[in-house]
Amino acid sequence: MSTEPDAQTTRKTVLEAHNIVKRFGGAVAVDHVSITVGAGEIHAVVGENGAGKSTLMRILAGILEPDEGGVSVDGSVLEPGAKASLEAGIALVHQELSLIPEMTVAENILLGVTPTKFGVIDSVRQRKIAGDALDQIGVSVDLNEPVSRLSMALRQFVEIARAVARNPRVLILDEPTATLTPAETDYLLSMLQRLAARGLAIIYISHRIPEVFRICERATILRDGQVVELMVIAETTPNAVIDKMVGRELKLDLQTRRVANPGAVVLSARGIQASRVNGINLDVRAGEIVGIGGLVGAGRSELVRAIIGVDPRTAGTATITVDGRTTNINGYGNAVRSGIAFVPEERRTEGLALNMTVAENITLPNRAALSTAGFLQRGKIAQFAMRLADVVGLRPPKVDREAGEYSGGNQQKVVIAKWLGREPKLIVLDEPTRGVDVGAKAEIHRLLRELADQGTAVLVVSSDLPELLELSDVIHVVRDGRIMGTLSPDEANERSVMALAAGEKVASSS
Amino acid sequence: MTYTELIKTPTPSPSRKTGRNRVSQAVAWVASRGIFVFTGALLVFSAVFVHGFASSVNIIDVFHRASAIGIVAIGMTFVVISANYIDLSVVAQIATSGVILMALSPEFGILGAMGIALFFALLYGVVNGVSVGFLKANAVVVTLGTTGIGVGILSLVSGGTIFYGPVGGPIDAFGDARVGPFPLSAFVLVAVAIVAGIVLSRTKFGFMIRSYGSNKQATRLAGVNSGGVVVGAFVLTALAAMIAGFVLAAYSNTAVSTMSDGYDFRALAAVIIGGNSLFGGRGSILRTLVGVIFISVLSNILVLSGFSFAWQQLVTGAVIVFAVALDALARKAEKR
Repeated sequence: MSTEPDAQTTRKTVLEAHNIVKRFGGAVAVDHVSITVGAGEIHAVVGENGAGKSTLMRILAGILEPDEGGVSVDGSVLEPGAKASLEAGIALVHQELSLIPEMTVAENILLGVTPTKFGVIDSVRQRKIAGDALDQIGVSVDLNEPVSRLSMALRQFVEIARAVARNPRVLILDEPTATLTPAETDYLLSMLQRLAARGLAIIYISHRIPEVFRICERATILRDGQVVELMVIAETTPNAVIDKMVGRELKLDLQTRRVANPGAVVLSARGIQASRVNGINLDVRAGEIVGIGGLVGAGRSELVRAIIGVDPRTAGTATITVDGRTTNINGYGNAVRSGIAFVPEERRTEGLALNMTVAENITLPNRAALSTAGFLQRGKIAQFAMRLADVVGLRPPKVDREAGEYSGGNQQKVVIAKWLGREPKLIVLDEPTRGVDVGAKAEIHRLLRELADQGTAVLVVSSDLPELLELSDVIHVVRDGRIMGTLSPDEANERSVMALAAGEKVASSS
Repeated sequence: MTYTELIKTPTPSPSRKTGRNRVSQAVAWVASRGIFVFTGALLVFSAVFVHGFASSVNIIDVFHRASAIGIVAIGMTFVVISANYIDLSVVAQIATSGVILMALSPEFGILGAMGIALFFALLYGVVNGVSVGFLKANAVVVTLGTTGIGVGILSLVSGGTIFYGPVGGPIDAFGDARVGPFPLSAFVLVAVAIVAGIVLSRTKFGFMIRSYGSNKQATRLAGVNSGGVVVGAFVLTALAAMIAGFVLAAYSNTAVSTMSDGYDFRALAAVIIGGNSLFGGRGSILRTLVGVIFISVLSNILVLSGFSFAWQQLVTGAVIVFAVALDALARKAEKR
């Protein structure tokens, strides 16, 4: 049985994906998604962070195998595997650039399909095919130039040429404009229109709604792994698309909203510049929860990491003021000593030593307090860890278990617990509840509110809009490494944050 | 509708999955506990089947050989646990301290010579540690380089001379002395092991080494001066190598710049065979000791059974490859 979506197209179908389901562990990343793309169509796939866009694209390209459903090109069902998909004409232009910097443009374009003659690389043909591909997309660049010497934009174009050189039927682009300037973006969009005009089916994934409205014919909107709607771009508006992406009307539970009572400025950052951070000023006050919103790749993590010295800054200063004493944050060690705690985005690689026990993980930042003359106080450590495990609600509260044996939510509680032992003056959390179950999430939120109520300054980066809205006393929305707007709780809702994050100009007063 | 019929939904077969789980559990078990079983079995086998193994003369010999390797290996354990680093320069360090002890004792006294050796040990530790910990240079290459520098200087200065201690002097007496069937060097080994064990498992510094080995980034983000931890690990390794140099020189009452050839390989073999993970973080001094017993007994019974040195090398090499492969397999199984 087929429920044909309301948005019909007269184009001949090239790519058809049918009822795709993909689960990771218990979580359903893609939930019965179907999508059809016609010859010459540019089809947008949009959705919030974590809606399942990238997973779906990886399934279409055969990199991931779906748990259910299948993909067909020109009516014939694809075998599993990236090779089969590539041979059937599906080419994916990656979000993360996948070029080899030391190799030349020509070598990169034909990587994996390098032409040979008697077992030796046929560099004449290699340059010819690579040159043809670049001509097709209208980009001129020296074929013998190593990719490492090219600008980000040219690298992106080489990446596209690489896909085009394989004579695809379907071209998939995942956030191709994330690192491009407006002029470069313009160029890329018209390039895609030219390619589509020649009958190529293009899937265009972007957060940037204006781009979608400029080149796309239809848009499939994903939310929580499901298709919420298939829209014909000519018949809708940017605001309607954003509403569909966000989906839920903001229901602010006034019971959970605390009344913030901000004190003195604890963290002050001025003119911060770093990789993907372009001049940021930011203050966080005692007892205040400051939220940083924006899309993936907007520079949010980079911003907080540069402020507290985890990653190097190229310009700017940051200071922390505790009990009237102001310290310049000139490195991460210095930040920690001054009373800053940092809960990183990557819990498993940066937050915890998974094969050490919970107690050992908690000991790490508190080692000085828990040792005498260089010797660890074992009795003290056990007590200390138990007390903190209790504060954060670790379940089961077995501190001699390896951290890796716990669920994501409990692991995150351990990361927070280890810092609470230091009684931080400022706690910085990057994606505090990613991959955390609903119960643990609520507990972590409660904990952060309590911390703020006790006068701790809290800085939260989150892709989870409801979380950001629920927690924050003020939200800064970041795009392209800049703060695009600052919203008070009254102004902040899912639409106003998304609008700023996606670069859609919206009257901000409502 | 033919389209949906064409699409097969593969159902994962649960039996295959648990079978694979069982294998990976077995691999993990052998990788973590196997060495204790293997060593016990080797000892029983040697005592029963290898003629002359259980004699007191032979046991003393095994201890003598095991002591110096054991002390070096214990030191190396710190570098390995602190995140898969290897210190190959122990070869140069052992020879340097041995030669300094024998060559300079007549002029500066034994304690004076030991003090000078200590200076050079610290120098090795700091140069290796700073290069690896702060400059992030590759540990194998750095310590290969410092080996070359150290052995080169030593050969130039000593001119390849063999230094003999006075017969019946305190160094000679130490080398010959024994308590029951055990040479004094065995007690040095035990003392070093106890101190190292306490440092690794009970002190803040040992804790940071283990933590850094488990997860470098998480340890750094907890505010640990990670470069300092690496320097400390290399300094401990250098101190152990210095003590091993003293013990080795005393045993034969001689020292020469080539006295420690092959000790890097054998010490590393002991650390790895004992089951200290080359991926860092996991291991203990006890494991290293068991590893030392295993390879010492193994080469002893090969000698007793009339196999040549070439065979010993071959067998030790094979055991190392087996142990490293097992370690990697266990890690892979764990990641699943």
